Amino acid sequence: MATLDLHAVSKTYRSDGRDILAVDNLTLNTQDGEIIGLLGSSGCGKTTTLRAVAGFVKITSGKICLNGNDIHHLPPAHRDVAMAFEGYALYPPLRICENIGFSLLRKKISNSEINQSVREIASLLDIEDILDKYPVSTSAGQQQRTSLARALVRRAPITLLDEPMSQLDTQLRARVRMRVKEYLAHYRLSAVFVTHDQNEAITLADRIAVMEKGELQQFASATELKKHPDNLFVASFIGEPPMNIMPATVQFGNDGVHITLLNENTPVGELHLSKSDVRHLRDNRVHVGIRPHQVVLSNDAPLRGQVISNQWLGDQSHMLIDINGLCIVVVSARRFRDLHKGENIGVDFPSDAVIFFSVDDGRRYSENPTINRGG
Amino acid sequence: MARLEIDNLTKAFGSVPVFNGITLNVERSETVAVYGRSGCGKSTLLSILSGALPAGGGDIRIDGRSIIDAQPEERDIGMAFQNFALYPHMNAFDNIASPLRGRKKPPQDINERVEATAKLLKIDNVLSHFPQEISNGQRQRTSLARALVAEPAVLLLDDPLRNVDAKLRYEMRLEMPNLFRRFQSSVIYVTQDSREAMALADRIAILHNGQFIQVGPPQDVYEFPRTAEVGRLLGDPAINLFPCETMVRGDSLFVNPVNFPVNITGRYQLPSTSKYLAGVRPEDISMSVAPSANSHSIEATIESITLSNIRSVFVVKTTTGEKMTVSCPEEETQQYATKQRIYVYFPEEKVSLFSPDNERLIKQNPSN
Repeated sequence: MATLDLHAVSKTYRSDGRDILAVDNLTLNTQDGEIIGLLGSSGCGKTTTLRAVAGFVKITSGKICLNGNDIHHLPPAHRDVAMAFEGYALYPPLRICENIGFSLLRKKISNSEINQSVREIASLLDIEDILDKYPVSTSAGQQQRTSLARALVRRAPITLLDEPMSQLDTQLRARVRMRVKEYLAHYRLSAVFVTHDQNEAITLADRIAVMEKGELQQFASATELKKHPDNLFVASFIGEPPMNIMPATVQFGNDGVHITLLNENTPVGELHLSKSDVRHLRDNRVHVGIRPHQVVLSNDAPLRGQVISNQWLGDQSHMLIDINGLCIVVVSARRFRDLHKGENIGVDFPSDAVIFFSVDDGRRYSENPTINRGG
Repeated sequence: MARLEIDNLTKAFGSVPVFNGITLNVERSETVAVYGRSGCGKSTLLSILSGALPAGGGDIRIDGRSIIDAQPEERDIGMAFQNFALYPHMNAFDNIASPLRGRKKPPQDINERVEATAKLLKIDNVLSHFPQEISNGQRQRTSLARALVAEPAVLLLDDPLRNVDAKLRYEMRLEMPNLFRRFQSSVIYVTQDSREAMALADRIAILHNGQFIQVGPPQDVYEFPRTAEVGRLLGDPAINLFPCETMVRGDSLFVNPVNFPVNITGRYQLPSTSKYLAGVRPEDISMSVAPSANSHSIEATIESITLSNIRSVFVVKTTTGEKMTVSCPEEETQQYATKQRIYVYFPEEKVSLFSPDNERLIKQNPSN
């Protein structure tokens, strides 16, 4: 149980005589018992951030506080954090049960209590049957769960997990995720985990910090990230498949607003929106975003497209639609859409599904008191 | 551009059997996704095909020619891996060129081949860069280019999209089938992602307990799983399996999964009071806040809601205490909350029956 706060944390590495800014002025305030996901692609600074909290990376500037106390100057062992490493870092000469129980030996608790805790966490992670084996004779997935168990068994105020389930297959991962979530909630533990898998972030985290190039892009719930992405990066990163984003020009008229979608610089189609739909819009060139499952395919639609591919995934169909050279991904969450390659189809972007981003800084146009939104 | 035959292949590690004689043909220009749980032997199969591991017995043939005793470099097979396995001391160009170097091709040929392949994969602008200087996506494309550059007869792909972000994964998922068609490769694609297998494959081969338990086009395998295990494996979340029993009411035959009478008259010819497992996919169960007017529905309470992409997953509990997994389109999620009373319904034709003993699919009447 703990709150973790990062205040303006930066980390600069020196490499080949150049300074590389791995984490850039990161501020994150978490709540007690919250599960936080650090999400981003490789090199975004998420792992450096996690290792800075654990104490394996010395921060260049800023503060890291656990329950209001500065911890960034403390060695890892004095920080009261538990960590599972991406590379597992198991002790080869110890059996799986000894690996998991190792950190408990320092605590003054009886062997039978240690055994009980080890068994509980092992059964939670489906590794009870390998407790007497040595790491070398177990699979990568089992080693990863051992490393996860070793961190969770400590019930530290804050648990740090680096790509904790990357070696598990989809179904096992879903099961382990739910159980870890219940375990953390049951013991009211806070956790921060790093992942490049947004599904993992969406299902496991209460709030997600999306990072890119060392900078925090947005810190919000999954629903909020999808509904109101702050900028183009978040919009194109979150969602599977991610949002379609295309350049467009805007003409403000008396009868509403005409949006001309562009492929490179060539107009490919026009949308007509009412002024109330675009009341925050203030530029003539924008980026238009729409999530794949919100695109409507119907015959009387303002845009025409051609089906390039149609992949059926069982409970949804993913289609690639070419609108005069502009390719967009369309998803039907219903069962199979019987559309064939080469078929012509009407495409509509419902006004409540369209999001506009600034061409200059990539930020989403939103409520802003300094902007005249009388239109 | 060749036909790959895996013929009664066996393999054991010490006394532990991995394959007890597996057979699979991959036709010219066909992509077969090999899918199974981790530890099912998918990667072992690729290692044997590529020559990194010896087979126990059986044969592997490319266009009728046995390659089982051939050295890896003589097999005419290209490979790409989930961890990319690029040579860190070589730039992207040399990485891609490496399969051609061993073949003593003239330098001009090598240059042309590498550049053409790199262009197709949109990495022609990073050829002079080293692996550590390029993005993950570019590394993935470099590794794919290296596998394709020699236009091998057979392409083996070991979960190549596993370590790339969603944007790139979907881009590649939609691009790759066109790429394979262009190279006319016969592809074995190993993945741990059932959706990826569904999306990319001409056929899916389900590997379980050392056997291919079902091989067929994605739609067939998904709609008609031969065993309950195939149903569980292919589908995310997994298929619901409810114990049920047949009963006769008048002229009609019913089964009663979750105490919901399902009329199977005509579809099945089964003895009464016999036990089965009724399989219903989560997306085939519909949910509503009010009972449906023209069909009976089951009263239930929402236990948990897991947000996911495109579809959300619900665990609901019926008034008689049975749990089921239901999925619904993401945009319909907001009308529901945990602990809420709801009504669920599934159409009769979406119920498949399996034997409770061996979990095999029960055959329907041929007329249906």
